[in-house]
Amino acid sequence: MDRWRRPGLARGVLGGVAGFAVGALPIVAAAQLGADIKPGHGLALGYIGAQVGWLLGLGALRFWTAWALGRAADPVDQAAAHGRAGDWTRYFRFTTDHKVIGLQYLITSFVLFLTAGLLAMVLRLELAQPGRLMDGDTYNTVMSTHGIVMIVVALIAIVGGLGNYFVPLMIGARDMAFPKVNALSYWLLPPALLLIVANPLLGGFDTGWTAYPPLSQQANLGQQAFILTFITLGVSSIISAVNFLVTVARMRAPGMSLTRMPIFVWALTVTTSIVLVATSVVAAGMTMLLFDRLLGTAFFRPSAGGDPILFQHLFWFYSHPAVYVMAVPAFGAVLEVVPVFARKPLFAYRLAVLSFIGIGVLSFMVWAHHMFVSGMADYFHIPIMITTELISVPTGIVFLSALGTIWLGRIRFATPMLWVFGFLWNFVIGGITGVFLADVPTDLALSDTYFVVAHFHYTIVGGMVYGLFAGTYYWFPKITGRLMDERLGRAHFWWFTLAFNATFLPMFWLGLQGMRRRVADYPADLADVNLWTSVASSTIALSTLVFLVNAIRSWARGPKASANPWRAHTLEWQVASPPPVENFEHLPTVTAGPYEYGVSASGPVIRPGGATGH
Amino acid sequence: MTARRDLAVAVAIWAVLSAIGVVVVLGTQILPVIASREAEVVNGAFVMLTVASVPILMLVVVPIAYSAIRFRASDDDETDGPPIHGHRAFEAGWVVVSLVLVIGLAAFGTIGLLEIRGGPDADLEVRAESTQWAWEFAYPDLGVRSKELVLPVDRRVRITIVSDDVLHSFYVPAFGIKQDAVPGRVTYLHVTPTVTGTYGAQCAELCGLGHTKMVAGVAVLELSEFEAWVAEQQPQQP
Repeated sequence: MDRWRRPGLARGVLGGVAGFAVGALPIVAAAQLGADIKPGHGLALGYIGAQVGWLLGLGALRFWTAWALGRAADPVDQAAAHGRAGDWTRYFRFTTDHKVIGLQYLITSFVLFLTAGLLAMVLRLELAQPGRLMDGDTYNTVMSTHGIVMIVVALIAIVGGLGNYFVPLMIGARDMAFPKVNALSYWLLPPALLLIVANPLLGGFDTGWTAYPPLSQQANLGQQAFILTFITLGVSSIISAVNFLVTVARMRAPGMSLTRMPIFVWALTVTTSIVLVATSVVAAGMTMLLFDRLLGTAFFRPSAGGDPILFQHLFWFYSHPAVYVMAVPAFGAVLEVVPVFARKPLFAYRLAVLSFIGIGVLSFMVWAHHMFVSGMADYFHIPIMITTELISVPTGIVFLSALGTIWLGRIRFATPMLWVFGFLWNFVIGGITGVFLADVPTDLALSDTYFVVAHFHYTIVGGMVYGLFAGTYYWFPKITGRLMDERLGRAHFWWFTLAFNATFLPMFWLGLQGMRRRVADYPADLADVNLWTSVASSTIALSTLVFLVNAIRSWARGPKASANPWRAHTLEWQVASPPPVENFEHLPTVTAGPYEYGVSASGPVIRPGGATGH
Repeated sequence: MTARRDLAVAVAIWAVLSAIGVVVVLGTQILPVIASREAEVVNGAFVMLTVASVPILMLVVVPIAYSAIRFRASDDDETDGPPIHGHRAFEAGWVVVSLVLVIGLAAFGTIGLLEIRGGPDADLEVRAESTQWAWEFAYPDLGVRSKELVLPVDRRVRITIVSDDVLHSFYVPAFGIKQDAVPGRVTYLHVTPTVTGTYGAQCAELCGLGHTKMVAGVAVLELSEFEAWVAEQQPQQP
């Protein structure tokens, strides 16, 4: 019975259930007294209660509540919350070590990735042949859930996973600036993720991840699960973004000037700046949508003077920058890996940093290219088309930097480098086809067709997921202290890459034939290509099993990794694998840039009282 | 000197592959059906963008393929490459060329937009009325309503689009364009059909349960046939 007395998962679940009851019961009572109550009211207040009860039971708020009650800080509990090396239970409770939180994000992301991937298999089963297998509501719910869960994966996997794990290590810090806020950002997610995965039990929702009103105003209770999840994710992202920015601003080791920061850290800095500025806009939009559904407001209700297009502006003002929240960390991971395996300094490092900043600024000026056929004013198409096409200039610089580093290099094709090459191939296709969607005349034909589906899978899967795999294969030895199997890694890469391209290249063609996105059926003359696509997509799922087997087997009994198996120069490789709980016994002093390959033999670090790292 | 030769060889491969690619693109029909003046403009934009895409694609593909073969080191090789941190002129050239390219594309895009959305008054007005989950077409000047969109060839038509429930989108792939229907607003598009025949209209904006099935027939007729169709549809005068 001890587990109920201490904060933890068990008490968190109990707190969540109790919180739901406390939140929802007044609504039930009001309904009994004849108030105009919908189930949505109960779900909304019950969910808020459940979140509070969950966090309280988990102990996520205990340090702040103690402070608020005037109790002295408990250093023993603080140290316990940070966790001890080798204690597996720290991964299942409120732990403040950034490396634990990074792994929690990473594993959660992979579980969600597999879940949403299986939903995609269901979609491709329906689309394998003309005609219908399932009813329209089921199809729409599966499609919408696949969309939003994959969006969550794309938003949190690199930033929350690899970012949390490696940013403090790479800048020479012992942890993030606000470790408790960091843990809170993760533990806000489980109730929200549970809610969105369980949305079919609430009737599902049929609006896709874009949730456009008025359809989202008339949709089932599952829609509300979507809105609550979206807002929770927003809160989690914002507090996490503040944490990253303060960490990078204040926690860098001596000598780690901005011009010596690893490119991955720069990528995360720009990314979290975007998150901080943009997220509250969409949270406001979603809250207004929730009020329209529950409180009788009419922000987006045309019959009462509201404007559905306003929602689209609020939505895309966040959701297009969000594309760069997915892509820029992948750029960072890829450019981090390239110099190590090309054995050359990162080409045009400063220009690459400027390009990230340029992407960050421009990302706020392009949102309406999602709305070229929405009915917004014609003249507004022109500036948006120009800014959207302009963003290909800084994105092109990422290619310049990668190709310039590879050129004349001494290239080792270890698995991480394969994913970099795959990234470059996919992302140039994703980028070029993006120009067709940015150009108004072609977009009038392509908008809302499979061309769009193909394009964003090339950028998000071909870009973000390839960056994630490049980073995961690269940093796996650091995280686990074990080497991954290279042969299985190569098999995974080639299989995934062939299957991915075989699945999504034909979708460009389908879009040109006029096949609409988000439909469950299509004309018979598109049957062959759709069948091909369905078969190919199922092999993507199978290739992921190779990765799973490799990761689990290597983690359990792969060969031990040295501190620096890739002979990289950045700081995370100058500590043991896996790193000790506090990362650095002595904080390092940094004496040179992170990519001085061909200049010095190893990482440029001076330890206090020790010899230089040269 | 070998570094310079690598560059020269790669540039030569890039030029040859780009030229071949452009020829292939110019010999390929991109939009499968082009049945309106607007679709011709859209297709022109497709051709222009696709031609421009080929050298850009090759600019990435050729260096990665060339490097993968030429600069590959064996696994036990522990030497580093040359410590090149950048090349100012090359970097500047890359940025300037991509800027010029982007401005050119945006200019062409603007011209295309003006051709499709601007232009003279229409000869005929049709109202496309959307509802969950069907289309209906009204011809206000002719007093006709129809489940099928029937248009005369070579006449400029203004299609106003309305919805009485949720968002829909009026999309005729053969005409190359689409436009959302927004409850509370009237949106429009102009179309000038150029080829007689039967086509399909479909809803392109997710609108719920019956979205997939929200389709309608489109027929483009010779003017005389169109007039006969109108006379047939009009209620008989008493």
